[in-house]
Amino acid sequence: MSESASANGPKPSSSVKLVLLGEAAVGKSSLVLRFVNNDFQENKEPTIGAAFLTQKCTLPTRTIKFEIWDTAGQERFASLAPMYYRNAQAALVVYDVTKPSSLTKAKHWVAELQRQASPGIVIALVGNKLDLTNDGGDSAGAAAAPQAESESVGEDGEEGAGEEAEGQLPASGDARKVSTREASTYADEEGLLFFETSAKIGTNVVEVFTAIANAIPESNLKTGRGAAGAGQTALGSRSGEDSRVNLGDRNAATAKEGCAC
Amino acid sequence: MMSLSSFVQKASSLIDPANFNIPSLSSNDNNPSKASLFRQQFRLPDSQNPLQEITAELILPLPNSSSDSADGSRRVDRAGNRYTGRLHLSERFICFSTQPTSFIPSSTLSASTSWTGQTHGTGPSGNGFTLPLSSIRRVERLHSARDVFSLALTTWNGLLNKQQEPNFSPQRLILQLVGSRQACERFCDCLKKGLREGMKEVDNLRSIVTDCYSEYLLSGTKAKDANDGEGRQPPDAGLGMLFRYPGDARKLRDRSKMRLWGEYFRENGRNSTLVRQPTFHKLIRVGLPNRLRGEIWELTSGSMFLRIRSPKLYEETLVKFDGQESLAIDEIEKDLNRSLPEYPGFQSDEGIGRLRRVLTAYSWTNAEVGYCQAMNIVVAALLIYMSEAQAFFLLSVLCDRLLPGYYSTTMYGTLLDQKVFESLVEKTMPVLWEHLAKFDVQLSVVSLPWFLSLYINSMPLVFAFRVLDVFFLEGPKVLFQVGLAILRINGEELLDIQDDGSFISVLKSYFSRLDESAHPRSENPKLRAITRFQELMVVAFKEFSGITHSTVTEQREKHKDAVLDNIESFAKRTSIRNLGPESKRLSADDLGTIYDRFYEVLYQWQQHQELAEEERMRMEKKKSERQSVLGPPVDRQVGRVGLGPSPTHMDYDAFREFLAATSKWAVSDSPAPARKDSSAPGYSSLRGNGKSLLWANRRQPADHEFMQRLYRKWATDPEEGLSLQNVVNGLARLKGARDIMNNINYFFTLYDDSGNGQVDREGILKMSEALLFLSRRGFEGTITATQSLEDLNNPRGSDADQNRLTTDEKFLGSVSAFIRRCFEYADPSHPDNQRGVFSDSTTEVTEKLDSFAIGDDDEEDLIDVNDDKPQTSSAAVSSPQPTESSEKSRPRSESANPALDPNNPLHITLPTFRMVVLADELLEQFFESYFPQSFHLSDHPHPASLAASSSLSSNLTTFSNIGARASASVVAGAPVAGASGGIVPPGKGLRGVLDNIVTDGIRMAAEVKKRMDDAQRELERNALGGRDEEDDEDDDDDYPSRQGASAAAMAGGISSWGAGAYGADPERRSVRDADRDLLEGAEAEVLSIRAPKEGASSPRARSPASAHDPEVVSKVVEFES
Repeated sequence: MSESASANGPKPSSSVKLVLLGEAAVGKSSLVLRFVNNDFQENKEPTIGAAFLTQKCTLPTRTIKFEIWDTAGQERFASLAPMYYRNAQAALVVYDVTKPSSLTKAKHWVAELQRQASPGIVIALVGNKLDLTNDGGDSAGAAAAPQAESESVGEDGEEGAGEEAEGQLPASGDARKVSTREASTYADEEGLLFFETSAKIGTNVVEVFTAIANAIPESNLKTGRGAAGAGQTALGSRSGEDSRVNLGDRNAATAKEGCAC
Repeated sequence: MMSLSSFVQKASSLIDPANFNIPSLSSNDNNPSKASLFRQQFRLPDSQNPLQEITAELILPLPNSSSDSADGSRRVDRAGNRYTGRLHLSERFICFSTQPTSFIPSSTLSASTSWTGQTHGTGPSGNGFTLPLSSIRRVERLHSARDVFSLALTTWNGLLNKQQEPNFSPQRLILQLVGSRQACERFCDCLKKGLREGMKEVDNLRSIVTDCYSEYLLSGTKAKDANDGEGRQPPDAGLGMLFRYPGDARKLRDRSKMRLWGEYFRENGRNSTLVRQPTFHKLIRVGLPNRLRGEIWELTSGSMFLRIRSPKLYEETLVKFDGQESLAIDEIEKDLNRSLPEYPGFQSDEGIGRLRRVLTAYSWTNAEVGYCQAMNIVVAALLIYMSEAQAFFLLSVLCDRLLPGYYSTTMYGTLLDQKVFESLVEKTMPVLWEHLAKFDVQLSVVSLPWFLSLYINSMPLVFAFRVLDVFFLEGPKVLFQVGLAILRINGEELLDIQDDGSFISVLKSYFSRLDESAHPRSENPKLRAITRFQELMVVAFKEFSGITHSTVTEQREKHKDAVLDNIESFAKRTSIRNLGPESKRLSADDLGTIYDRFYEVLYQWQQHQELAEEERMRMEKKKSERQSVLGPPVDRQVGRVGLGPSPTHMDYDAFREFLAATSKWAVSDSPAPARKDSSAPGYSSLRGNGKSLLWANRRQPADHEFMQRLYRKWATDPEEGLSLQNVVNGLARLKGARDIMNNINYFFTLYDDSGNGQVDREGILKMSEALLFLSRRGFEGTITATQSLEDLNNPRGSDADQNRLTTDEKFLGSVSAFIRRCFEYADPSHPDNQRGVFSDSTTEVTEKLDSFAIGDDDEEDLIDVNDDKPQTSSAAVSSPQPTESSEKSRPRSESANPALDPNNPLHITLPTFRMVVLADELLEQFFESYFPQSFHLSDHPHPASLAASSSLSSNLTTFSNIGARASASVVAGAPVAGASGGIVPPGKGLRGVLDNIVTDGIRMAAEVKKRMDDAQRELERNALGGRDEEDDEDDDDDYPSRQGASAAAMAGGISSWGAGAYGADPERRSVRDADRDLLEGAEAEVLSIRAPKEGASSPRARSPASAHDPEVVSKVVEFES
């Protein structure tokens, strides 16, 4: 379907290397599978080294082809990661909203990327397995809830989303262990995009990728891969701002329209 | 042709110099590379060492059915097939191989090409056999007509089964030894010994062998014929028996393969007694039949030998660790449902259960590896063809030998082999390599899974197993050969790709079409019948036959360091980043230094202990055989972070090593005698070029109570040891604060054993001991109290050496004053006062004690000290409330009396301690700069530390000046007196402690003296000059006083304590006088304390007091004014 969408109008197309990082079994591969095939598998083979997939994402002004490197999550594979995030223009750092340790690990990855990856890399922090929490449980409200969160993060910041999430913690059947506020505050501090997703029921998955596509500066795309990022340090400092601006854009135009998948 | 090659082989083996002087190797020959090469070649367990080797000719009886055609390396004559090669003997094995061996003692890695270089399909072990000695039933020496030394080995082949096979004749191997009679005899003796040992293992062997599918294969049909009712259950040949084996058995021609193998077994022995002939290698190349696959893998990889050694290990491990939990088990559990999920066996509880048990058992036996993703896939694949126990041992061989470091916690093996693979691609396919480089396609992102999961999840299973068949026989080079062949075959297409995506998709589609014809449009039907997989195998093993074990080994050596460095820098930055907020108080450089030093010490310490352990074992005459059957091979090299799981905690002894590398004071005073110039570093480094000398020799760590305290303080759990986090936190608290109060508090808490904010008498003495211990190697220029002023006042420039000396000496004085003051200001620990001085509400507090309660405010304490000299205007400047009534000091002095009574327990509190420290210029500086700075991290010892004096000292500058002035006029008898104030009244124990202090001081002084000898004359002259100058200098007379002190030290060579104790006229005194004086001074001091006010002043007036004693100072000033 992505082909048909791109066929509608000859938009400029460019590829973006994106890497997924995060603790084992937080659902990195599942996120990708949802994004690429709109599918979900309960028993997904663990990723050995890294899996490679591609998917196109059509924005109003351009088409972006994601080259997705889905890395293995087991701790010891961490030393292989530099091989995969080399030259990446975007990164999804995934944690599991039901597992606090996974957020810690995610923070480590963010720090690693900020120091070692290409300057100007767009990083999105993604809390997956929203379906296991109350706010993600009903698929009807699922789409609305995260949107409200990201708005509240942007506008009244402290109060709204955080208290809401924390208030829900003791609720029965809610496996959430990482509050939205905690993660979003951290994401704000570090200038990251932030989403909570469910690869299982599809909440917010496409939105993540669309937001990343939007957040990637035009100038980073032209040359394609390899040269991207190199020598563009100036853009690096701005990427945080860009991302927030684009986050707003995404909320304005509904996400489903934004992406062809 | 056949005879020619045989001839050449024989000739070359005769030319081999090793044949002429056959090395007889004793069991303590520890040439690791030789032993490991030997084990590698014959796939022997790590416990085996090459004991004997000799050239021999293996003569096999002619097969009944001469089914296989003639082959190059064999000569057929009436007696049978003859092979020339080398016969080897280890503790439990006898091995024969036609492959020239190169692990003669002189061999190096690169010289090993000879045996690994010619493995065209025959594998490193070539033709021959690897027999456990337990499988040999009898050895006869044959008397032949010619003068030939012949042995006939009869094996247990086929005899360990209860049921006799029809037409069965025992396996008999004839070996003709070639060598001197003596060498042959020696070999036989050794063999005899081994055979006796081997007898003990026959039962093990039987238990393994009877469960081999080969035994069933050879006896199975007959059992049915015999109609004995039961019929034998086929042995476990993997999940495939329950869930079908992958692939189409007919298409794989499984049945005919089975027949061929049956025939081969009958003629050449089976399982543990199999003899490798060329047909063996060929049969493996065409793919193993399903039910024999597991057994042959076990045999060719050598894992069967491990199983024979400890047949019950697998089951025992499971039982032993039943119900226990570990991180590895959690990780395994996550992956059980996702291991070859497409194979029906792994959708069942049976299959998943087996997988769980094997992975779990292995994670227990090799906790260092634990569990690594990809192992689940590999083990799942193995379990299709083998029993759990077989898979367990094979996994062990994989992790330890075939894929070293692949699954370790750093996966260095994986990364290393990727580098090796890349370099091989560059070498063999430069055009493709350049193309990939041009488009920035990273090869390893594609090839890494090939290696890590042995192509199992890259190729369709049937083909992956074919690769495995050869891999287990020929070793890791197969993975490279296949990888290179894949790229070569797809070369054209790969030259068109421009990014990772298309690169991957080209290969993906290639793998999916492996079963198709390689030449679909060829006219030749034979050619058309060749599948792409067959083509791949041909290219891999023909075209890349040059890729040998030694190629791989060499390349691994070449890239090893770079790969490890990469991993380590990654590990380091990750680990440092994760150290938490406390660590932020240290600079990145410091953290880096701590990290490096921490692991350096840990690894060296570990190696040291291993060597010691080895030595101990040798002393106990134990065999070098290892206790555990499994686990990584012993490596006596210093470990590296990059190599895998690192030790994480250092015990106290390792901590001492760490400190010795960090702080000069932690270096032992009595280094090993053999070391040249070993006592020098400590002092010579003080002269300025400290760094090089400081880190030069290996430093023997000291052992001091202070270090133990530091260790206990830093450790979360002293039993467990110190983690990097502990060390970083410890140092961060010390060095990070840059705040004198923090440092003083820290030091105090080190001695606050009970944690109630009190340090008792014993503690006070220990503190002072520690102060001396820490300072005994000088101050590295950090304590130069009035140095700068002095420099200003001393236009001639000061001799650093002299200044240092006097600083050291003055510090001793400070310490003695410290003790005295501690006792003076200590609080009595009355039972009803146990709650601590901080509780002011205590009702029974006497008036005296009240004054102490006030003293709890450290600000006031500080002032109180100064209060004793109200006339000193400069002191007034420094103290916010200078005019506190002097009556207050009176009760305190009185209260000092009971403090000296041993029956009267006392303690000091933190505020008191602070006060006492701040009351002394040198101690103050000690805590402000020297103490934290004596822990050298990334900083350079000298210049920085001088500049780093913090703001706090500026408040007290005036105070320092007073001290300096005082020291000018009085060169101190008081310190000794002060110290002795503690000595005399208390009991023996305390005296002992103090004696130690004195001994320390004396030892130090002796060292000082040694270094002073050269400069003696000059110093004397200076001393005189200095005295002359005294009149001219108003503000700071520190310098001349130091001259006096150093002169004193020179004159007597007495302790620095003593040095402080001398009056202005040291030349007149002898050493003995000095000692006597020391004692007298002590008595005098006791008197002075007993009779508070007047007593205190009079002896001090006679033999003037320490420069840094404010009380004394005030009096001196009085006198002067």
